[in-house]
Amino acid sequence: MYFAPVLRSEALKVLSLRSLCATLLAVLAATTAFSALAGVSDTSDPDFDPLFMALSGVTPGQIAAIAFGATAVSSEYQGNGIRLSLAAVPRRGRWFAAKLVAVAVPVFAVGLLSAFAALVAARAGLGAAADGLGVGEQARGVVGCALYLMLMALLASGLATLFRSGAATLATLIPFLLIVSFVIGDVAGGATDFLPDRAGQVVLHQTHDGLLGPWGGLAVTALWTAAALVAGAWRLRTRDA
Amino acid sequence: MTSIDVRNLTKEYGTRRAVDDLTFTVSPGRVTGFLGPNGAGKSTTMRLVLGLDRPTSGTATVGGRPYGTLAEPLRHVGALLDADSAHGSRTARDHLRVLAASNRIAPRRVEEVLEETGIASVARRRVKTYSMGMRQRLGIAAALLGDPEVVMLDEPSNGLDPEGIVWLRALLRRLAAEGRTVLVSSHLMNETASFADHLVVLGRGSLLADLPMRDFIDARVRPRVRVRTPDATALKAALERHGHDAVEGDDGSWSVHHARVDDIGRALSDAGVPLLELSSDAGTLEQAYLDLTATEAEFSAPHQEA
Repeated sequence: MYFAPVLRSEALKVLSLRSLCATLLAVLAATTAFSALAGVSDTSDPDFDPLFMALSGVTPGQIAAIAFGATAVSSEYQGNGIRLSLAAVPRRGRWFAAKLVAVAVPVFAVGLLSAFAALVAARAGLGAAADGLGVGEQARGVVGCALYLMLMALLASGLATLFRSGAATLATLIPFLLIVSFVIGDVAGGATDFLPDRAGQVVLHQTHDGLLGPWGGLAVTALWTAAALVAGAWRLRTRDA
Repeated sequence: MTSIDVRNLTKEYGTRRAVDDLTFTVSPGRVTGFLGPNGAGKSTTMRLVLGLDRPTSGTATVGGRPYGTLAEPLRHVGALLDADSAHGSRTARDHLRVLAASNRIAPRRVEEVLEETGIASVARRRVKTYSMGMRQRLGIAAALLGDPEVVMLDEPSNGLDPEGIVWLRALLRRLAAEGRTVLVSSHLMNETASFADHLVVLGRGSLLADLPMRDFIDARVRPRVRVRTPDATALKAALERHGHDAVEGDDGSWSVHHARVDDIGRALSDAGVPLLELSSDAGTLEQAYLDLTATEAEFSAPHQEA
């Protein structure tokens, strides 16, 4: 059995579900719209970071990316569809790999587009306040944003495979991102820099002062994602479908 | 020759034994009815054959190979496990296209099975708008997609309308006539009797019977003769002379147990008993099945301490 037909099948699954396509559009819409809004906000804050301001739409955008990653997997568990999928592709590792590629590639592509659009929209609002941004920094921000969104979507896919449920995945991740990391992150410090979202978002800043640099931060997020994927793959391999 | 071979198959969920040391073979060229009460292990056995559940011990193979080692398995084995396995927000055509793509099945097969199962006209509608019968037809379409030599259907007649049932019966007969291996589970006896050649009967995870359907019925149901007469006294007297006993039914007819119609007809004719009706009451699959499960219950009833 070859990988390409399985991947084609998984890609068709994404394209043939309107809700999944709509979620991808939501990544683009949320990231761009919220960044554009941030562009016209107050820039007198001493912590003002023009790059992060321009890409701040990633905070709502990542919710859509997570929903995409979780739903792509959890749609398999509706009405035991997973049995049909695994009867068609009994090599579960191959099936899971194809599923992850079908999640990662569209999120990365939409992430690139979203980050670019967000940057353009926000810079229009920021005007002179963003003049200090170099081309390299902006390119790093755009690519980093796409990678970050992709890793968060895959993290959600891993958890959805582990929980066999999209609702449980979103109920775990979204409060974590909106509350735990947001609130505790600002209070504590140090260890919270290693939370998946905070580490991964270093790449979206022009300057960084923590332990982690832009790529080191993304690597930490990738480790979290890898852990979720390994746990999901383990559950998929060992459990009865 | 592609048969399904189940050898000493056992599956435990925690402490509950869903399938208990099961051994049987499903051969090509005939329809094998898979019978048993709910919870007897029919669906579990099918999932084990498909490699979806892992057996506790024993093996299940298709054409001598474990299902999981088949390259592009939909081209060899088609299965309907659950009419709800298609995602409600997908159209029937997309559902089949996705399956076809994974096993490199030609796209024209999608159109063919949609036609064959009679849902081509609604193929562009989302599955959640389908009735139970239409979902069942879609599940059967998915099973036939790869033109497989082995077809395994779990309760395919569920939710089908009377026309659908007649269609399904003809389909199963045709698949067997084409030399395919066909395993069909059901808890409807009359339905199974209309299409099965062979039976595999499960009870609480164990094999109760594995034999041709006719043999199963003949071994279990005592033949009876049905008689209608205006002169019951003469009938009883004549039967008594030949050592038979007649029991009156609700509709005024009489049943003679343990008797063959040839003997009774001759005896009653010799005695000059006037007859309105004389017929042989061959056993039905339902009677045979109930007889089997009754004896089984007797053997397996828990012994009570005095």
